[in-house]
Amino acid sequence: MKIIFTSFIIFIITSSAIAQTKISGKITDEKKQPLPGANIYIKNSYDGVSSEVNGNFSFTTDEKGDAVLAVSFVGYQTYTQNLILDGKDKYLEIILKEESTELGTVFISAGSFEASDENKAVILRPLDILTTGADADIYSTLETLPGTQQIGETEGLFVRGGSASETKTIIDEMAVQNPFYSSVPDIPSRGRFSPMLFKGTVFSTGGYSAQYGQALSSVLVLKTQDLPAKTQSAISIMPLGLGGSHTQLWDNSSFSFEGGYYNLGPYFQVQKQRTDWDKAPESFEGSLNFRQKTSKTGMLKVFTSFSTGSLSLYMPNLDSLPRKDFFHQKSNNLFVNTNYHDILWDDWTLFAGYSVGVDNENDKINTDTANKDDIFHTGKLTITKNIFSNTFLTFGGEVQNLDHKSSYNELSGKFNETYLAGYLEADIFFTNDFAGRIGARTENSKLLNKTNIAPRLSFAYKLGTYDQLNFAYGKFYQTPDPDFLLYSKNFQFENADHFIFNYQYIGTDRTFRIEVYYKNYNNLAKGTVYTYPYFNLPVIPFGSDGKGYAKGIDIFWRDQATFDNTDYWISYSYLDTKRDYKNYPTLAAPPFSTPHTFSIVAKHWVQSITTLFGLTYTFATGRPYFNPNNPEFLGDRAKNYQNLSLNASHLLSVFGNFTVIFFSIDNVLGYENVYGYNYSTNGKLSAPILPPAVRTYFIGMFISLGETNPY
Amino acid sequence: MKLVISLFCVLLFTGNSFSQDKYESGMKTNLAKMEECKTANDYLKVANGFERIAAAEKDKWLPYYYSALNCVLASYSDSSKTAKDIYLNKADKFINTADSLVPDNSEIYTLKGMIAQSRMQVDPMNRWQKYGAQATNNFTKAVQSDSLNPRPEYLMGVGLFYTPEQFGGGPKAAKLILEKSLAKFEKFVPENDLMPHWGKEQVEQYLKQIAEKK
Repeated sequence: MKIIFTSFIIFIITSSAIAQTKISGKITDEKKQPLPGANIYIKNSYDGVSSEVNGNFSFTTDEKGDAVLAVSFVGYQTYTQNLILDGKDKYLEIILKEESTELGTVFISAGSFEASDENKAVILRPLDILTTGADADIYSTLETLPGTQQIGETEGLFVRGGSASETKTIIDEMAVQNPFYSSVPDIPSRGRFSPMLFKGTVFSTGGYSAQYGQALSSVLVLKTQDLPAKTQSAISIMPLGLGGSHTQLWDNSSFSFEGGYYNLGPYFQVQKQRTDWDKAPESFEGSLNFRQKTSKTGMLKVFTSFSTGSLSLYMPNLDSLPRKDFFHQKSNNLFVNTNYHDILWDDWTLFAGYSVGVDNENDKINTDTANKDDIFHTGKLTITKNIFSNTFLTFGGEVQNLDHKSSYNELSGKFNETYLAGYLEADIFFTNDFAGRIGARTENSKLLNKTNIAPRLSFAYKLGTYDQLNFAYGKFYQTPDPDFLLYSKNFQFENADHFIFNYQYIGTDRTFRIEVYYKNYNNLAKGTVYTYPYFNLPVIPFGSDGKGYAKGIDIFWRDQATFDNTDYWISYSYLDTKRDYKNYPTLAAPPFSTPHTFSIVAKHWVQSITTLFGLTYTFATGRPYFNPNNPEFLGDRAKNYQNLSLNASHLLSVFGNFTVIFFSIDNVLGYENVYGYNYSTNGKLSAPILPPAVRTYFIGMFISLGETNPY
Repeated sequence: MKLVISLFCVLLFTGNSFSQDKYESGMKTNLAKMEECKTANDYLKVANGFERIAAAEKDKWLPYYYSALNCVLASYSDSSKTAKDIYLNKADKFINTADSLVPDNSEIYTLKGMIAQSRMQVDPMNRWQKYGAQATNNFTKAVQSDSLNPRPEYLMGVGLFYTPEQFGGGPKAAKLILEKSLAKFEKFVPENDLMPHWGKEQVEQYLKQIAEKK
């Protein structure tokens, strides 16, 4: 019996010794940090275990012979290894590699602010653009970010010492010639595109990719929405006008239209304006959007927007007071963008697009007539291919044609410019912590009969899980403004070199970013097109010997965690810039620049009354203005600028429909801002350039029809 | 003799390793462990257990389904927003594999809706528009595909419970749909022990909570 028992034990021990293999070891990441919770198993068996807190694991398997050991863990690439299971203990030290698509991987970001709802590290969300500032305008939200200047008297983004024309707006990869409504001297106009149209925004304040050109300072890259989430209608009611929209969603396609009528007349009756309006701005606008999913990965988008508006007013004429000049303006804009993208043959990403913009503006100043007509065509083709496991190659080409006509009474001028560009760029992930983007762009202008080559470089090095260092260098070219091209073709491309160095920390609820830059301008167009407002300056011949520089520091801090239900961000920009361009007699700080700009945006959500309160405060030192009596050119400074604006969005249900009531007051404290001064021709009289009203009020109600119950 | 026994062992194990018994017992072990889970790490371990079965039984959808479900439950138990998204990414991967094995399945639609709902909860202000609609679409499809499944209505009810009244939510609205779900739970008989049958106690708990609030 004893013998049988012993032999039985022997049998068990020996048989299990042969049948079972013990596998143990440790799972770590590339920095030798233990990974708890990784799944270690023998493929095609049930045998396996999860790693412990210290990364250790141990299990036995009854499998035999050739086997495959797999290790999987969220956020890491699955690891496999061939093993021979022969009953001998195995000890394995396994290092898992991070999946490069996950959070915490290095990404190229020098110079840019991104707003996206993808699950990745970005500085802003699309909603931030809707809930910041007083007027839900993309451009006014971006003016709360560092690197931009507070320019109250005209529209456009003035980035790091650059003029408004040095910033290009790009919608679905296609440049937009004129993203703003036509404007009146000393009164800014709004952006023409509603922030609701876009799912992603990248605002680059310098050092941007070789895929974009014709912008010396900055690009604003907007991506339109894909298929909408659902069928819905909405209406908006404001004292300023009425708007409505409808979106219809089918399985693989959608169509939406949006339209509105706006008239500022009734509002101006209530809220006294400094501007002497004859006929307050009135406009009709609309947009059509079509989406078709062409395959699992393919999408065709057609986006059309159109608007027509008119206004008239009396402007003081400092040369013959109390006479006023009558100014009347009519404008029409049309923009059509058709684009298609798909992934072909596994890893070829193709983008093809065509867009056309038609803008015309008709002005009457007393008895004089001025017309401006632009037709702008763009075609673009971009291909991205994954060439090695860590390298993405992007290449493509762009053709633009601008037909520009301009007339003043009997005088008229026109030109037709064809611009060709090709670009090649490689995104290389040298390691998970170090990435580079190396590219170049070549451009040809038919009108200037010149060709250029623009190198672009950007590197990013990850320091920790949330922070990284970035560096960018690039050369950027731009054809001189149409105003110059009407008079002369003998120009070089204007150009700028950017050097950018940045540190950024993007945690889940806190973001910090500091960026130092130097920008060097060359070949800026010179020449006297208009004498206004620099009356007594010598006339300068046309040429390309303008130059300038800009250097500074941009700081951004955002915190969503410290205070309950409160999100705030603070921006500070220091700017030192001088330029000699247009009809400047010397190098000078331009009127669209100031050394210090500070802004704070805060939002607080009160659940009990379902209301989001917002506050924006901006301070900027005074900007230079031209005083013909001062021998120093642009030697005068306006007073400091300050603005505190408040807004509130109250969410409620009206007859079962989801509704937002929005209210805002701009310049609550009634601070008397002065943007600069206009002078009479003899320099004896001056008048301050002031906002159209001390305060601006806005109230509106937006109703989403049928969106009663989210479930 | 030793040889005979080891041969026997080899035969036994190879014969057994792909048998239905092993599948069922493996699934049941993990389902039992799931009941004991408290922390995100516990759920992750169970998700790992189901993943191991899924890797061996590639044509069965339930291991993928439960692996995804445990990843979602792990995301509930972890406080870090980043970690929540990472768990949900993994859940997405598993549920999509399950979906490709058995298309148009009510339970899979339900879990897809649950994933969207969890994504929304990570950052409601920014995500409700996209993921709210995604959750609704999936729950609607789940009910269409199997009107007897009580789980989509349970999750819709929970969604409403946490939605402010101004948006058509609140306990009152939640109560109606949770009662509907409970009525379905009373009649619900799973095809077998392995099929999804969770949710009844939770519905009862929510209804109790609503009753206490009044």
